[in-house]
Amino acid sequence: MAQVLDEHAPLPDGWSERHVAGMAVYRNNYRTALVEAMRATYERTARWVGDEAFARAAAHHLIHHPPAGWTLDVIGQGFAATLADLFAHDPEVPELAALEWAMHTAFTAPDAAPLDAAGFAAATAGFAEEDWQAMALLPLPGCALVPVAHDLPALWRALGTGDGEPSPARALAQPGTLLVWREGLNPVFRPLDPAEAIGFSAILRGAGFGEICAALVDRLGEQEGIERAGALLGQWIAEGLIAGIRR
Amino acid sequence: MDHQPARFSGFGLGLRREHHAAFLAGEARVDFVEVISENFMVDGGRPLAVLEQVRAHYPVILHGVSLSVGSAHGLDRAYLARLRALADRIDPLWVSDHLCWTRTSAHSSHDLLPLPYTREALDTVCANIARAQDALGRAMLFENPSSYLAFPDDDMPEWAFIAAMAERTGCGLLLDVNNVWVSSRNHGFDPDAYIAALPHERVRQVHLAGHTPGEIVIDTHDRAVCDEVWALYARTMALLGPVATMIERDGDIPPLAELVGELDRARTLARRATRRVAA
Repeated sequence: MAQVLDEHAPLPDGWSERHVAGMAVYRNNYRTALVEAMRATYERTARWVGDEAFARAAAHHLIHHPPAGWTLDVIGQGFAATLADLFAHDPEVPELAALEWAMHTAFTAPDAAPLDAAGFAAATAGFAEEDWQAMALLPLPGCALVPVAHDLPALWRALGTGDGEPSPARALAQPGTLLVWREGLNPVFRPLDPAEAIGFSAILRGAGFGEICAALVDRLGEQEGIERAGALLGQWIAEGLIAGIRR
Repeated sequence: MDHQPARFSGFGLGLRREHHAAFLAGEARVDFVEVISENFMVDGGRPLAVLEQVRAHYPVILHGVSLSVGSAHGLDRAYLARLRALADRIDPLWVSDHLCWTRTSAHSSHDLLPLPYTREALDTVCANIARAQDALGRAMLFENPSSYLAFPDDDMPEWAFIAAMAERTGCGLLLDVNNVWVSSRNHGFDPDAYIAALPHERVRQVHLAGHTPGEIVIDTHDRAVCDEVWALYARTMALLGPVATMIERDGDIPPLAELVGELDRARTLARRATRRVAA
């Protein structure tokens, strides 16, 4: 295996030129197939940085994180961190990769039916105050938050077709957060304001609704915090982001 | 092994994204569809939804690339559990993989690497196949690889290894005629002698594909089947009788009609060959 993964690994003594040529085919297959699999996962990142730079970055990642599992789906794990080192002066590059990874993960996340308003009402019928406090909202599988400092929605749209040269990525006035989830069969994302980002990250941590309310009260004050928590709960259910509740 | 692969003599293609619409609508003129198992061994989402819709129209074959029966450290139990769950969900005609190894306990090459054809490797492969078939509750099919490298310490030729593997494990065979041709060019053996030496009653399916010629012939699946491989296919079908045939195309994918046209050529050759067998 070392001889396949590492182009510079020595071959066994006594191997003929024919063996060496045969091994070169396997080495090339390995590198080409894995870089292509990375490109399929990080299609927009590849378009943004260009094919050659992408191939070099993907090869670098694969050398430092050789695939361990049976599925090609996970070989891109941690690529955003690799890109953060390689593209230290282009911070939108790892942000774009992190967004593509979250979309890729959501694409094959477990199927779950979202809880609708009627289902939520039935599940919470007869709740006492302490039940509301303790209630954990279970996010739809595949939900993820991606911190960003650039206008990723614009970059994402511009890179969608592969036509033309996208404009430079615009830095946001304040760092923001994108929420990724799967709507039916399609991964989607939207930006969150800071309060919603606090609320949804609490959901992903498994926090109770009381804790979410407290975090929003800290941010927005007593009245606005409580009102916002209630409004967000209604919005998340309406958007199909909640798969169930746990008391 | 109780659950033996069905006898099925249709003609099929792989499910490629470029042709999804026709397969989802049941409009592709094929008798079965073969899919790469690993692409559907996922938790949920579109891949499984697509496969279930295709399955509503066609019999499906699950063809894997990551079982790694040649791995000395054994098989990945989580992989087998996922494959079993997929097979239970899709009810395939059969489940196949390759005679090769793809990974060690630490790393995966995601490529079909060749095995030394030694008695020790045969023991490893047979033990792994037995475990896989037990885990799946069915006999599998294993495909002869194309290879670019042979090991100096081989104890036996590939065909003898495959015949012994089938005999010891009860597995079926997926005979890739193009792979035989590619390896015969790369290693200098007679492809007809290879195919003649296999246990024909074990073969349930044949693969055809295009390759890239050169000093080392490479199994690229990116072009039409060449005339030499068609001729070898015709001679093979005369030996095998009616078994399933599938054309693999993974690169430079043409319109579906072009592949269905190639499949028609396979139908014609197989019909002529098996008629001669019957006569």
